[in-house]
Amino acid sequence: MEISQKEKNGIVFLSFKGRLDGKSALEAEQAVKNILENENTRLLFDLELLEYLSSAGLRVILGAAKEMKCRDGKFVLCSLNAYVKEVFEVSGFGTIIPIAESVEAGIKEIA
Amino acid sequence: MSDDNNENEALLLVDDNPTNLQVLYQTLETTGCKLLVAKNGETALAIAQKASPDLILLDIMMPGIDGFEVCRRLKDNPDTANIPVIFLSALTETKDKVQGLQLGAVDYVSKPFQPDEVIARVNTHLTIHRLKREVEQKKDALEDELEAASDVQRRLLPKKLPEIAGLKLAVHYETSLYAGGDYYDIAKMADNRWGFLVADAEGHSAPAAVMMAMTCALFRSYPKPPTEPGELLYFLNQHLCKVADPSFVTALYIVYDANHHRLKIARAGHPPPMIYRSAEKKAIEYKCGGVFPLGIDSYEQVPVTEAELQPGDRLLSYTDGITERFSIDGETYGEERLLQQLEGDENLEPQELLTAIMKDVDDFANGRPADDDQALFLAIVE
Repeated sequence: MEISQKEKNGIVFLSFKGRLDGKSALEAEQAVKNILENENTRLLFDLELLEYLSSAGLRVILGAAKEMKCRDGKFVLCSLNAYVKEVFEVSGFGTIIPIAESVEAGIKEIA
Repeated sequence: MSDDNNENEALLLVDDNPTNLQVLYQTLETTGCKLLVAKNGETALAIAQKASPDLILLDIMMPGIDGFEVCRRLKDNPDTANIPVIFLSALTETKDKVQGLQLGAVDYVSKPFQPDEVIARVNTHLTIHRLKREVEQKKDALEDELEAASDVQRRLLPKKLPEIAGLKLAVHYETSLYAGGDYYDIAKMADNRWGFLVADAEGHSAPAAVMMAMTCALFRSYPKPPTEPGELLYFLNQHLCKVADPSFVTALYIVYDANHHRLKIARAGHPPPMIYRSAEKKAIEYKCGGVFPLGIDSYEQVPVTEAELQPGDRLLSYTDGITERFSIDGETYGEERLLQQLEGDENLEPQELLTAIMKDVDDFANGRPADDDQALFLAIVE
């Protein structure tokens, strides 16, 4: 699991690469926590290179979504591959977390 | 130089030369450790076995068994294998040092030694050894607690499966070290109707175990017979929302009318059930709408899907620990393999079919241990 981070025009971009499962969830959770320590209110997860997502990974994403909701911020997931998209559909998470087709569309959604 | 932490620790000093041994003794007296001495290899091994010192300073060139051999025997004996050894020797060649370290020694000090250096190294290794021991003790304690939690979880599960006219049941339930909190339960209702609940609490071990226990308590204290699956999940969610942050529980609840072989299914973030149609000899993932998992946010409404079974049909609920079981190559077991297994020999009893499925899952994992709980709940219509 690789996580990279950048900030542009007040939006924090977090890119996930590899597998977000029970083993990497702790590391990802910490990375997300560090970012949320700043008073960011707009957060975008780029999942284009995320190959695999387990329920432990869903919990990390849910934690971020909840925190953003708490601080009245905006949060979006972008560029999900077919597998990850299916995980969101079957688990019902797609109905509570905004999902955009591309990073560009995601930026528009939370701008 | 004395270190208060050292008071209860013992060092074993081994040297065949009395003068060297005395110098070493005087040097290390200041550490505050209890000092034991041995003048040859045999005595050193005997003392190490009996007194379990915290550190051994070992000369290499000695008559009888030499220091290398003493070290080898210490490491071969489970009682003494964990005692750190520092070689103290006039042999200063790199190959001697390498040989000593390869035998499992933690350090190598050349003679003649500087007293301060020996004391500093002894203190460092005592600290490392002490911390290592503490970590191991904490790890053992934690594992004991996890095991206790796992025991409690098992006691919450139904003691035995009910006898249902026209339906045969079987379950497989297996926790992993990183228990996530799988749960299944059965409710008996009027008119030969039955409620089958399969749930999976997501989160680190202890919170997941608590969530699983909460789900169990809520299910069993539902104020009326749980005949409406949508209402039941709505109720569980309302209460779990108050505690589950940021954990959640996925659940699949099915009400089965055994007189008419009819099902009502409600699903919260959980994989949909699989149904094997005996007439078509085919298993499918039964599409049913659902809501996100329990414990996140309130629901507006929980959709309910209906289905009907025929004699010979099979109904399987499972947790994602099965389909997300990894092989050595990092591939997941997946739904397709599970569907194929569900199409297995119709003469199999439910428990035999589950055993066959678990064998297939374990064969697929090929020795890679499960890192999530695995639960299967199977019903076959007679």
